[in-house]
Amino acid sequence: MKEKYGLMAEFSTHEELVHAAEKAYEHGFRNMDGYAPFPVEGLAEALGKKTRLPLLVLIGGIIGGLGAYFMEWDANVISYPINIGGRPLNSWPAFIPITFELTVLGASLTAFFFSLGLSGLPKPYHPVFNVPQFERASQDRFFLCIETRDRLFRGDETRDFLLSLNPLTISEVDK
Amino acid sequence: MNALVDAPLIPGKKISLLIGVLGLGVSVIGWITTPRAFFVSYLFAVVFFVGLSLGSLGILMIHHLTGGYWGYAVRRFLEAAAGNLPLIALLFVPILFGLSELYPWRHPDIVAANHLLAKKQGYLNTAGFIIRTIAVFAVWIVGSRLLLKWSAEQDVTVSVEPTRKMRTLSGPGLVIYPMTMTFAAVDWIMSMETEWYSTMFPILICIGQILGALALIILLFAWTAGSSKLRELASTDNFHKIGNLLLAFVMMWAYLAFGQLLVIWSGNLPAEISWYLHRTAGGWRWVAIFIGLFEFFVPFFLLLMRPVKKKRHVLAMVAACVFISYIVTIWWTIAPSAYPGGFYVSWITVTTFFGIGGLWWAAFLWNLGRRRLVPVNDPRFALAVPV
Repeated sequence: MKEKYGLMAEFSTHEELVHAAEKAYEHGFRNMDGYAPFPVEGLAEALGKKTRLPLLVLIGGIIGGLGAYFMEWDANVISYPINIGGRPLNSWPAFIPITFELTVLGASLTAFFFSLGLSGLPKPYHPVFNVPQFERASQDRFFLCIETRDRLFRGDETRDFLLSLNPLTISEVDK
Repeated sequence: MNALVDAPLIPGKKISLLIGVLGLGVSVIGWITTPRAFFVSYLFAVVFFVGLSLGSLGILMIHHLTGGYWGYAVRRFLEAAAGNLPLIALLFVPILFGLSELYPWRHPDIVAANHLLAKKQGYLNTAGFIIRTIAVFAVWIVGSRLLLKWSAEQDVTVSVEPTRKMRTLSGPGLVIYPMTMTFAAVDWIMSMETEWYSTMFPILICIGQILGALALIILLFAWTAGSSKLRELASTDNFHKIGNLLLAFVMMWAYLAFGQLLVIWSGNLPAEISWYLHRTAGGWRWVAIFIGLFEFFVPFFLLLMRPVKKKRHVLAMVAACVFISYIVTIWWTIAPSAYPGGFYVSWITVTTFFGIGGLWWAAFLWNLGRRRLVPVNDPRFALAVPV
Protein backbone atom coordinates (compact mmCIF):
# COMPACT_ATOMS: atom_id res chain seq x y z
CA MET A 1 0.00 0.00 0.00
CA LYS A 2 1.22 3.46 -0.90
CA GLU A 3 1.98 5.82 1.91
CA LYS A 4 -0.54 8.59 2.45
CA TYR A 5 0.09 12.28 2.93
CA GLY A 6 -3.28 13.01 4.46
CA LEU A 7 -7.03 13.26 4.07
CA MET A 8 -8.54 16.11 2.11
CA ALA A 9 -12.06 17.52 2.40
CA GLU A 10 -13.56 19.70 -0.31
CA PHE A 11 -15.94 22.62 0.37
CA SER A 12 -17.82 24.96 -1.92
CA THR A 13 -17.61 28.18 0.14
CA HIS A 14 -14.90 29.91 2.14
CA GLU A 15 -17.21 30.23 5.16
CA GLU A 16 -17.49 26.43 5.30
CA LEU A 17 -13.72 26.10 5.03
CA VAL A 18 -13.10 28.53 7.91
CA HIS A 19 -15.77 26.78 9.97
CA ALA A 20 -14.20 23.38 9.23
CA ALA A 21 -10.75 24.67 10.11
CA GLU A 22 -12.05 25.97 13.44
CA LYS A 23 -13.67 22.61 14.21
CA ALA A 24 -10.52 20.70 13.29
CA TYR A 25 -8.41 22.97 15.46
CA GLU A 26 -10.85 22.52 18.36
CA HIS A 27 -10.63 18.76 17.84
CA GLY A 28 -6.89 19.05 18.35
CA PHE A 29 -5.48 18.74 14.84
CA ARG A 30 -2.40 20.86 14.23
CA ASN A 31 -0.68 19.46 11.10
CA MET A 32 -3.23 20.64 8.59
CA ASP A 33 -3.59 23.31 5.97
CA GLY A 34 -6.33 25.13 4.07
CA TYR A 35 -6.32 25.82 0.33
CA ALA A 36 -8.43 28.49 -1.37
CA PRO A 37 -8.50 30.39 -4.69
CA PHE A 38 -8.18 33.76 -2.89
CA PRO A 39 -6.88 35.00 0.50
CA VAL A 40 -9.54 34.08 3.05
CA GLU A 41 -9.86 36.45 6.00
CA GLY A 42 -9.52 34.54 9.27
CA LEU A 43 -8.39 31.23 7.75
CA ALA A 44 -4.84 31.38 9.11
CA GLU A 45 -6.19 32.20 12.58
CA ALA A 46 -8.74 29.36 12.35
CA LEU A 47 -5.98 26.88 11.43
CA GLY A 48 -3.93 28.14 14.35
CA LYS A 49 -1.09 29.22 12.05
CA LYS A 50 1.15 31.78 13.68
CA THR A 51 3.75 33.78 11.82
CA ARG A 52 6.85 35.58 12.98
CA LEU A 53 6.90 37.61 9.76
CA PRO A 54 5.78 40.98 11.30
CA LEU A 55 8.62 40.82 13.85
CA LEU A 56 11.15 39.88 11.15
CA VAL A 57 9.98 42.72 8.90
CA LEU A 58 10.31 45.16 11.82
CA ILE A 59 13.86 43.94 12.48
CA GLY A 60 14.67 44.16 8.74
CA GLY A 61 13.40 47.71 8.64
CA ILE A 62 15.37 48.76 11.70
CA ILE A 63 18.57 47.20 10.33
CA GLY A 64 17.98 48.98 7.00
CA GLY A 65 17.41 52.34 8.68
CA LEU A 66 20.30 52.14 11.14
CA GLY A 67 22.57 50.80 8.40
CA ALA A 68 21.68 53.68 6.11
CA TYR A 69 22.27 56.31 8.75
CA PHE A 70 25.54 54.70 9.79
CA MET A 71 26.68 54.57 6.15
CA GLU A 72 25.96 58.29 5.67
CA TRP A 73 27.47 59.25 9.00
CA ASP A 74 30.59 57.20 8.31
CA ALA A 75 31.01 58.62 4.81
CA ASN A 76 30.44 62.24 5.78
CA VAL A 77 31.99 62.41 9.23
CA ILE A 78 34.78 59.78 9.29
CA SER A 79 35.88 58.91 5.77
CA TYR A 80 35.34 62.06 3.69
CA PRO A 81 34.67 65.04 5.95
CA ILE A 82 33.90 67.94 3.60
CA ASN A 83 32.62 71.37 4.62
CA ILE A 84 29.43 71.92 2.60
CA GLY A 85 28.10 75.45 3.02
CA GLY A 86 29.22 75.53 6.64
CA ARG A 87 26.76 72.83 7.66
CA PRO A 88 27.70 70.37 10.40
CA LEU A 89 29.32 67.17 9.14
CA ASN A 90 26.59 65.10 10.77
CA SER A 91 23.71 66.86 8.97
CA TRP A 92 20.79 64.69 10.06
CA PRO A 93 18.04 66.35 7.97
CA ALA A 94 19.93 65.54 4.78
CA PHE A 95 20.41 61.93 5.89
CA ILE A 96 16.72 61.23 6.52
CA PRO A 97 15.57 60.48 2.92
CA ILE A 98 18.18 57.71 2.46
CA THR A 99 17.49 56.40 5.97
CA PHE A 100 13.80 56.26 5.15
CA GLU A 101 14.34 54.59 1.76
CA LEU A 102 16.64 51.90 3.14
CA THR A 103 14.24 51.26 6.02
CA VAL A 104 11.57 50.50 3.43
CA LEU A 105 14.02 48.45 1.37
CA GLY A 106 15.17 46.43 4.38
CA ALA A 107 11.59 45.78 5.46
CA SER A 108 10.30 44.85 2.00
CA LEU A 109 13.22 42.55 1.12
CA THR A 110 12.76 40.81 4.47
CA ALA A 111 9.04 40.47 3.81
CA PHE A 112 9.63 39.11 0.30
CA PHE A 113 12.30 36.53 1.08
CA PHE A 114 11.05 35.44 4.48
CA SER A 115 7.44 35.03 3.35
CA LEU A 116 8.73 32.74 0.59
CA GLY A 117 11.16 30.94 2.88
CA LEU A 118 8.81 30.51 5.85
CA SER A 119 6.12 29.04 3.57
CA GLY A 120 8.65 26.52 2.23
CA LEU A 121 8.82 27.97 -1.27
CA PRO A 122 9.99 27.28 -3.90
CA LYS A 123 8.53 23.77 -3.80
CA PRO A 124 8.49 21.84 -7.09
CA TYR A 125 6.46 18.94 -5.67
CA HIS A 126 3.55 18.91 -3.26
CA PRO A 127 1.41 15.82 -2.59
CA VAL A 128 -1.93 17.70 -2.55
CA PHE A 129 -1.75 17.94 -6.35
CA ASN A 130 -2.17 14.16 -6.50
CA VAL A 131 -5.88 14.68 -5.83
CA PRO A 132 -7.52 15.24 -9.25
CA GLN A 133 -10.17 17.75 -8.15
CA PHE A 134 -7.53 19.82 -6.32
CA GLU A 135 -7.00 21.85 -9.49
CA ARG A 136 -10.23 23.63 -8.58
CA ALA A 137 -8.46 25.08 -5.53
CA SER A 138 -7.35 27.82 -7.89
CA GLN A 139 -10.88 28.27 -9.27
CA ASP A 140 -13.92 27.78 -7.05
CA ARG A 141 -13.29 25.14 -4.39
CA PHE A 142 -11.94 25.26 -0.85
CA PHE A 143 -9.92 22.42 0.67
CA LEU A 144 -8.88 21.36 4.13
CA CYS A 145 -6.14 18.75 4.34
CA ILE A 146 -5.35 16.94 7.61
CA GLU A 147 -1.93 15.37 7.38
CA THR A 148 -1.05 11.82 8.48
CA ARG A 149 1.87 13.11 10.54
CA ASP A 150 -0.58 14.74 12.97
CA ARG A 151 -0.43 12.87 16.27
CA LEU A 152 -4.23 12.60 16.36
CA PHE A 153 -4.48 11.20 12.83
CA ARG A 154 -6.28 7.82 12.84
CA GLY A 155 -7.38 6.79 9.32
CA ASP A 156 -11.11 6.05 9.53
CA GLU A 157 -11.72 8.05 12.67
CA THR A 158 -10.34 11.15 10.96
CA ARG A 159 -12.45 10.40 7.89
CA ASP A 160 -15.55 10.27 10.13
CA PHE A 161 -14.56 13.56 11.67
CA LEU A 162 -14.24 15.19 8.24
CA LEU A 163 -17.59 13.66 7.22
CA SER A 164 -19.22 15.41 10.18
CA LEU A 165 -18.23 18.72 8.58
CA ASN A 166 -20.42 17.99 5.51
CA PRO A 167 -17.80 18.31 2.77
CA LEU A 168 -18.56 17.75 -0.91
CA THR A 169 -15.92 15.01 -1.16
CA ILE A 170 -13.20 13.43 0.92
CA SER A 171 -10.07 12.17 -0.79
CA GLU A 172 -6.98 10.33 0.34
CA VAL A 173 -3.87 12.20 -0.62
CA ASP A 174 -1.02 10.02 -1.92
CA LYS A 175 2.48 10.93 -0.91
CA MET B 1 -39.05 64.54 16.29
CA ASN B 2 -39.93 62.57 13.22
CA ALA B 3 -38.90 59.23 11.79
CA LEU B 4 -35.91 60.72 10.00
CA VAL B 5 -34.24 61.85 13.21
CA ASP B 6 -32.54 59.65 15.78
CA ALA B 7 -32.35 60.45 19.46
CA PRO B 8 -29.38 62.73 20.27
CA LEU B 9 -26.13 60.81 20.40
CA ILE B 10 -24.08 63.31 22.31
CA PRO B 11 -25.57 65.69 24.88
CA GLY B 12 -24.21 69.10 25.81
CA LYS B 13 -25.50 71.46 23.13
CA LYS B 14 -26.61 74.15 25.59
CA ILE B 15 -23.52 73.89 27.79
CA SER B 16 -21.18 74.29 24.84
CA LEU B 17 -23.22 77.22 23.50
CA LEU B 18 -22.86 78.84 26.93
CA ILE B 19 -19.10 78.14 26.98
CA GLY B 20 -18.83 79.61 23.49
CA VAL B 21 -20.65 82.82 24.34
CA LEU B 22 -18.79 83.21 27.66
CA GLY B 23 -15.43 82.49 26.04
CA LEU B 24 -15.92 85.05 23.30
CA GLY B 25 -17.38 87.53 25.79
CA VAL B 26 -14.33 87.30 28.04
CA SER B 27 -12.07 87.48 24.98
CA VAL B 28 -13.49 90.92 24.20
CA ILE B 29 -11.63 92.16 27.31
CA GLY B 30 -8.46 90.91 25.63
CA TRP B 31 -9.34 92.74 22.43
CA ILE B 32 -9.51 96.00 24.42
CA THR B 33 -6.47 95.48 26.65
CA THR B 34 -3.98 93.56 24.47
CA PRO B 35 -5.24 93.62 20.86
CA ARG B 36 -2.18 91.88 19.41
CA ALA B 37 -2.43 88.89 21.75
CA PHE B 38 -6.16 88.79 21.10
CA PHE B 39 -5.90 88.74 17.31
CA VAL B 40 -3.12 86.15 17.21
CA SER B 41 -5.18 83.93 19.52
CA TYR B 42 -8.37 84.57 17.60
CA LEU B 43 -6.72 83.78 14.26
CA PHE B 44 -5.39 80.56 15.78
CA ALA B 45 -8.85 79.49 16.93
CA VAL B 46 -10.49 80.37 13.62
CA VAL B 47 -7.81 78.59 11.58
CA PHE B 48 -8.09 75.54 13.82
CA PHE B 49 -11.88 75.21 13.55
CA VAL B 50 -12.06 76.10 9.87
CA GLY B 51 -9.52 73.28 9.51
CA LEU B 52 -11.78 70.77 11.26
CA SER B 53 -14.70 71.73 9.01
CA LEU B 54 -12.65 71.74 5.80
CA GLY B 55 -10.78 68.56 6.69
CA SER B 56 -14.14 66.87 7.28
CA LEU B 57 -15.35 68.13 3.92
CA GLY B 58 -12.22 66.66 2.35
CA ILE B 59 -12.72 63.23 3.95
CA LEU B 60 -16.41 63.37 2.99
CA MET B 61 -15.51 63.96 -0.66
CA ILE B 62 -12.90 61.19 -0.56
CA HIS B 63 -15.57 58.82 0.70
CA HIS B 64 -18.11 59.93 -1.89
CA LEU B 65 -15.54 58.98 -4.53
CA THR B 66 -14.15 55.78 -3.04
CA GLY B 67 -17.05 54.40 -1.05
CA GLY B 68 -16.20 51.86 1.62
CA TYR B 69 -17.77 50.47 4.72
CA TRP B 70 -15.85 52.73 7.14
CA GLY B 71 -17.32 55.94 5.74
CA TYR B 72 -20.97 55.18 6.40
CA ALA B 73 -20.34 55.03 10.13
CA VAL B 74 -18.81 58.51 10.22
CA ARG B 75 -20.68 60.17 7.33
CA ARG B 76 -22.92 62.21 9.65
CA PHE B 77 -20.00 63.46 11.74
CA LEU B 78 -18.28 64.66 8.60
CA GLU B 79 -21.42 66.32 7.28
CA ALA B 80 -22.15 68.00 10.60
CA ALA B 81 -18.60 69.41 10.75
CA ALA B 82 -18.67 70.55 7.11
CA GLY B 83 -22.05 72.16 7.82
CA ASN B 84 -20.31 74.58 10.21
CA LEU B 85 -18.56 76.50 7.42
CA PRO B 86 -21.10 79.38 7.33
CA LEU B 87 -20.70 79.80 11.10
CA ILE B 88 -16.92 79.89 10.86
CA ALA B 89 -17.15 82.40 7.98
CA LEU B 90 -19.17 84.65 10.26
CA LEU B 91 -16.65 84.18 13.07
CA PHE B 92 -13.87 85.19 10.67
CA VAL B 93 -15.19 88.76 10.41
CA PRO B 94 -13.41 90.15 13.54
CA ILE B 95 -10.04 89.22 11.95
CA LEU B 96 -10.68 91.96 9.37
CA PHE B 97 -10.52 94.54 12.18
CA GLY B 98 -7.12 93.28 13.29
CA LEU B 99 -5.19 93.03 10.04
CA SER B 100 -2.69 95.65 11.23
CA GLU B 101 -2.03 93.64 14.38
CA LEU B 102 -1.31 90.50 12.39
CA TYR B 103 0.26 91.32 9.05
CA PRO B 104 3.44 93.31 8.33
CA TRP B 105 2.25 94.18 4.79
CA ARG B 106 -0.35 96.45 6.40
CA HIS B 107 2.38 98.73 7.77
CA PRO B 108 3.67 101.31 5.24
CA ASP B 109 6.90 101.81 7.21
CA ILE B 110 7.79 98.10 7.15
CA VAL B 111 6.88 97.86 3.46
CA ALA B 112 8.95 100.96 2.62
CA ALA B 113 11.96 99.46 4.36
CA ASN B 114 11.62 96.09 2.68
CA HIS B 115 12.17 95.87 -1.05
CA LEU B 116 10.76 92.31 -1.30
CA LEU B 117 7.57 93.20 0.56
CA ALA B 118 7.12 96.36 -1.53
CA LYS B 119 7.15 94.23 -4.69
CA LYS B 120 4.43 91.99 -3.21
CA GLN B 121 2.01 94.87 -2.59
CA GLY B 122 0.10 94.07 -5.77
CA TYR B 123 -1.05 90.85 -4.14
CA LEU B 124 -0.71 91.41 -0.42
CA ASN B 125 -3.10 94.29 0.16
CA THR B 126 -6.24 94.78 2.22
CA ALA B 127 -8.74 94.70 -0.65
CA GLY B 128 -7.13 91.57 -2.10
CA PHE B 129 -7.12 89.86 1.32
CA ILE B 130 -10.82 90.55 1.87
CA ILE B 131 -11.88 89.58 -1.68
CA ARG B 132 -9.91 86.32 -1.59
CA THR B 133 -11.23 85.46 1.88
CA ILE B 134 -14.84 86.05 0.77
CA ALA B 135 -14.21 84.05 -2.42
CA VAL B 136 -12.75 80.99 -0.72
CA PHE B 137 -15.49 80.93 1.92
CA ALA B 138 -18.11 81.29 -0.83
CA VAL B 139 -16.66 78.30 -2.71
CA TRP B 140 -16.46 76.16 0.47
CA ILE B 141 -19.95 77.07 1.63
CA VAL B 142 -21.60 76.49 -1.76
CA GLY B 143 -19.77 73.17 -2.19
CA SER B 144 -20.58 71.88 1.29
CA ARG B 145 -24.21 73.06 1.14
CA LEU B 146 -24.73 71.24 -2.16
CA LEU B 147 -23.32 68.01 -0.72
CA LEU B 148 -25.48 68.36 2.40
CA LYS B 149 -28.59 69.16 0.36
CA TRP B 150 -28.16 66.11 -1.88
CA SER B 151 -27.37 63.95 1.13
CA ALA B 152 -30.66 65.05 2.74
CA GLU B 153 -32.49 64.28 -0.52
CA GLN B 154 -30.95 60.82 -0.54
CA ASP B 155 -32.43 60.14 2.90
CA VAL B 156 -35.98 60.27 1.56
CA THR B 157 -35.61 58.63 -1.83
CA VAL B 158 -34.44 55.30 -3.19
CA SER B 159 -33.33 56.95 -6.44
CA VAL B 160 -29.55 56.90 -6.91
CA GLU B 161 -29.54 60.39 -8.44
CA PRO B 162 -28.50 62.38 -5.30
CA THR B 163 -25.56 60.03 -4.67
CA ARG B 164 -24.50 60.34 -8.29
CA LYS B 165 -24.53 64.13 -7.96
CA MET B 166 -22.48 64.00 -4.76
CA ARG B 167 -19.92 61.81 -6.46
CA THR B 168 -19.75 64.05 -9.51
CA LEU B 169 -19.10 67.13 -7.37
CA SER B 170 -16.56 65.39 -5.13
CA GLY B 171 -14.06 64.77 -7.96
CA PRO B 172 -13.53 68.43 -8.89
CA GLY B 173 -14.17 69.32 -5.24
CA LEU B 174 -11.06 67.47 -4.11
CA VAL B 175 -9.02 69.55 -6.58
CA ILE B 176 -10.70 72.83 -5.67
CA TYR B 177 -10.21 72.30 -1.92
CA PRO B 178 -6.38 72.47 -1.86
CA MET B 179 -6.40 75.19 -4.53
CA THR B 180 -8.69 77.50 -2.53
CA MET B 181 -6.93 76.57 0.71
CA THR B 182 -3.68 77.69 -0.95
CA PHE B 183 -5.01 81.25 -1.15
CA ALA B 184 -6.30 81.07 2.42
CA ALA B 185 -3.06 79.62 3.82
CA VAL B 186 -0.94 82.23 2.05
CA ASP B 187 -3.13 85.15 3.11
CA TRP B 188 -4.07 84.16 6.63
CA ILE B 189 -0.92 82.41 7.86
CA MET B 190 2.08 82.70 5.56
CA SER B 191 1.86 86.48 5.17
CA MET B 192 2.28 86.93 8.94
CA GLU B 193 6.02 86.59 8.28
CA THR B 194 7.57 89.54 6.52
CA GLU B 195 9.45 87.69 3.77
CA TRP B 196 8.88 83.98 4.24
CA TYR B 197 7.33 81.81 1.59
CA SER B 198 7.08 78.07 0.97
CA THR B 199 5.25 76.45 -1.92
CA MET B 200 4.75 73.30 0.12
CA PHE B 201 3.09 75.10 3.00
CA PRO B 202 -0.56 75.20 1.77
CA ILE B 203 -0.75 71.47 1.07
CA LEU B 204 0.88 70.81 4.44
CA ILE B 205 -1.94 72.85 6.00
CA CYS B 206 -4.54 70.91 3.95
CA ILE B 207 -3.21 67.50 4.99
CA GLY B 208 -3.01 68.73 8.59
CA GLN B 209 -6.69 69.69 8.38
CA ILE B 210 -7.64 66.23 7.13
CA LEU B 211 -5.47 64.62 9.82
CA GLY B 212 -7.10 66.72 12.56
CA ALA B 213 -10.61 66.02 11.26
CA LEU B 214 -9.86 62.30 10.96
CA ALA B 215 -8.60 62.17 14.55
CA LEU B 216 -11.78 63.96 15.69
CA ILE B 217 -14.18 61.62 13.87
CA ILE B 218 -12.31 58.57 15.17
CA LEU B 219 -12.77 59.93 18.70
CA LEU B 220 -16.46 60.54 18.05
CA PHE B 221 -16.95 57.15 16.41
CA ALA B 222 -15.22 55.32 19.26
CA TRP B 223 -17.25 57.32 21.77
CA THR B 224 -20.63 56.64 20.17
CA ALA B 225 -19.92 53.12 18.91
CA GLY B 226 -21.93 51.63 21.75
CA SER B 227 -25.11 53.47 20.78
CA SER B 228 -27.80 51.36 19.17
CA LYS B 229 -27.70 53.08 15.78
CA LEU B 230 -24.00 52.75 15.15
CA ARG B 231 -23.38 49.41 16.83
CA GLU B 232 -23.77 47.33 13.69
CA LEU B 233 -21.23 49.56 11.93
CA ALA B 234 -18.78 49.60 14.82
CA SER B 235 -17.01 46.39 13.87
CA THR B 236 -13.39 45.63 14.67
CA ASP B 237 -12.78 45.62 10.94
CA ASN B 238 -14.19 49.13 10.56
CA PHE B 239 -11.91 50.50 13.28
CA HIS B 240 -9.01 48.69 11.64
CA LYS B 241 -9.74 50.38 8.31
CA ILE B 242 -10.18 53.86 9.73
CA GLY B 243 -7.05 53.31 11.83
CA ASN B 244 -5.14 52.50 8.65
CA LEU B 245 -6.42 55.73 7.16
CA LEU B 246 -5.15 57.61 10.23
CA LEU B 247 -1.74 55.97 9.80
CA ALA B 248 -1.70 57.01 6.13
CA PHE B 249 -2.43 60.65 6.99
CA VAL B 250 0.04 60.70 9.90
CA MET B 251 2.72 59.57 7.42
CA MET B 252 1.56 61.96 4.70
CA TRP B 253 1.60 64.87 7.13
CA ALA B 254 5.05 63.97 8.46
CA TYR B 255 6.35 63.53 4.90
CA LEU B 256 5.19 67.02 3.90
CA ALA B 257 6.29 68.66 7.15
CA PHE B 258 9.74 67.10 6.84
CA GLY B 259 9.90 67.82 3.09
CA GLN B 260 9.43 71.52 3.74
CA LEU B 261 12.02 71.48 6.52
CA LEU B 262 14.56 69.64 4.35
CA VAL B 263 14.21 72.01 1.39
CA ILE B 264 14.42 75.15 3.52
CA TRP B 265 17.20 73.79 5.75
CA SER B 266 19.26 72.78 2.69
CA GLY B 267 18.80 76.15 1.01
CA ASN B 268 19.50 78.04 4.23
CA LEU B 269 18.42 81.34 2.66
CA PRO B 270 17.64 84.24 5.02
CA ALA B 271 14.10 84.80 3.73
CA GLU B 272 13.21 81.14 4.14
CA ILE B 273 15.05 79.89 7.19
CA SER B 274 13.64 82.68 9.38
CA TRP B 275 10.40 80.74 9.72
CA TYR B 276 12.19 77.80 11.37
CA LEU B 277 14.46 80.07 13.41
CA HIS B 278 11.37 81.74 14.89
CA ARG B 279 9.86 78.33 15.57
CA THR B 280 12.88 76.87 17.33
CA ALA B 281 13.77 79.92 19.43
CA GLY B 282 13.60 79.50 23.19
CA GLY B 283 10.59 77.51 24.36
CA TRP B 284 9.28 77.05 20.82
CA ARG B 285 12.00 74.42 20.33
CA TRP B 286 10.33 72.19 22.92
CA VAL B 287 6.98 72.70 21.24
CA ALA B 288 8.55 71.59 17.94
CA ILE B 289 9.96 68.48 19.61
CA PHE B 290 6.57 67.76 21.20
CA ILE B 291 4.90 67.95 17.78
CA GLY B 292 7.48 65.66 16.18
CA LEU B 293 7.03 63.11 18.94
CA PHE B 294 3.27 63.12 19.35
CA GLU B 295 2.03 63.92 15.87
CA PHE B 296 4.43 61.49 14.20
CA PHE B 297 6.69 59.11 16.13
CA VAL B 298 4.33 57.89 18.86
CA PRO B 299 1.18 57.52 16.70
CA PHE B 300 3.21 56.12 13.79
CA PHE B 301 4.77 53.28 15.76
CA LEU B 302 1.54 52.53 17.62
CA LEU B 303 -0.52 52.48 14.42
CA LEU B 304 1.89 49.99 12.81
CA MET B 305 0.46 47.39 15.17
CA ARG B 306 -2.80 45.75 14.21
CA PRO B 307 -4.18 45.22 17.73
CA VAL B 308 -3.96 49.00 18.31
CA LYS B 309 -6.16 49.71 15.30
CA LYS B 310 -8.65 46.95 16.08
CA LYS B 311 -9.40 47.96 19.69
CA ARG B 312 -11.53 51.06 19.63
CA HIS B 313 -10.44 52.39 23.03
CA VAL B 314 -6.77 52.11 22.14
CA LEU B 315 -7.34 53.64 18.70
CA ALA B 316 -9.26 56.47 20.37
CA MET B 317 -6.26 57.19 22.61
CA VAL B 318 -3.95 57.40 19.60
CA ALA B 319 -6.48 59.67 17.86
CA ALA B 320 -6.61 61.87 20.96
CA CYS B 321 -2.80 62.11 20.90
CA VAL B 322 -2.90 63.20 17.24
CA PHE B 323 -5.76 65.64 17.87
CA ILE B 324 -4.05 67.38 20.79
CA SER B 325 -0.80 67.57 18.83
CA TYR B 326 -2.72 69.08 15.93
CA ILE B 327 -4.02 71.86 18.21
CA VAL B 328 -0.44 72.53 19.35
CA THR B 329 0.78 72.45 15.73
CA ILE B 330 -1.63 75.18 14.65
CA TRP B 331 -0.54 77.40 17.57
CA TRP B 332 3.13 76.69 16.75
CA THR B 333 2.45 77.52 13.08
CA ILE B 334 0.78 80.86 13.82
CA ALA B 335 2.03 82.34 17.10
CA PRO B 336 5.84 82.42 16.56
CA SER B 337 5.33 84.85 13.66
CA ALA B 338 4.05 87.37 16.20
CA TYR B 339 6.17 86.16 19.13
CA PRO B 340 9.47 85.00 17.56
CA GLY B 341 11.47 85.39 20.75
CA GLY B 342 10.26 82.32 22.58
CA PHE B 343 7.26 80.37 23.76
CA TYR B 344 4.17 82.43 24.28
CA VAL B 345 0.62 81.60 25.23
CA SER B 346 -2.00 83.86 26.72
CA TRP B 347 -5.20 83.40 28.67
CA ILE B 348 -6.87 84.90 25.61
CA THR B 349 -5.66 81.91 23.58
CA VAL B 350 -7.67 79.68 25.88
CA THR B 351 -10.77 81.87 25.93
CA THR B 352 -10.87 82.37 22.14
CA PHE B 353 -10.28 78.64 21.59
CA PHE B 354 -13.15 77.68 23.89
CA GLY B 355 -15.26 80.58 22.63
CA ILE B 356 -15.10 79.61 18.98
CA GLY B 357 -14.87 75.93 19.89
CA GLY B 358 -18.02 76.13 22.04
CA LEU B 359 -20.03 77.68 19.23
CA TRP B 360 -18.56 75.26 16.68
CA TRP B 361 -19.38 72.27 18.87
CA ALA B 362 -22.93 73.48 19.63
CA ALA B 363 -23.59 73.95 15.90
CA PHE B 364 -22.02 70.56 15.20
CA LEU B 365 -24.37 68.85 17.67
CA TRP B 366 -27.31 70.76 16.24
CA ASN B 367 -26.40 69.62 12.70
CA LEU B 368 -25.94 66.06 13.94
CA GLY B 369 -29.33 66.00 15.65
CA ARG B 370 -31.21 66.97 12.52
CA ARG B 371 -30.37 63.86 10.53
CA ARG B 372 -30.53 60.10 10.80
CA LEU B 373 -27.24 58.74 12.02
CA VAL B 374 -26.83 56.25 9.21
CA PRO B 375 -27.29 56.99 5.49
CA VAL B 376 -29.60 54.01 4.95
CA ASN B 377 -30.74 55.02 1.47
CA ASP B 378 -27.26 55.39 0.02
CA PRO B 379 -27.25 52.84 -2.82
CA ARG B 380 -23.83 51.53 -1.81
CA PHE B 381 -24.74 51.35 1.88
CA ALA B 382 -26.92 48.27 1.39
CA LEU B 383 -24.07 46.52 -0.40
CA ALA B 384 -21.56 47.52 2.24
CA VAL B 385 -23.55 46.39 5.27
CA PRO B 386 -24.21 42.69 5.66
CA VAL B 387 -27.91 42.31 6.51
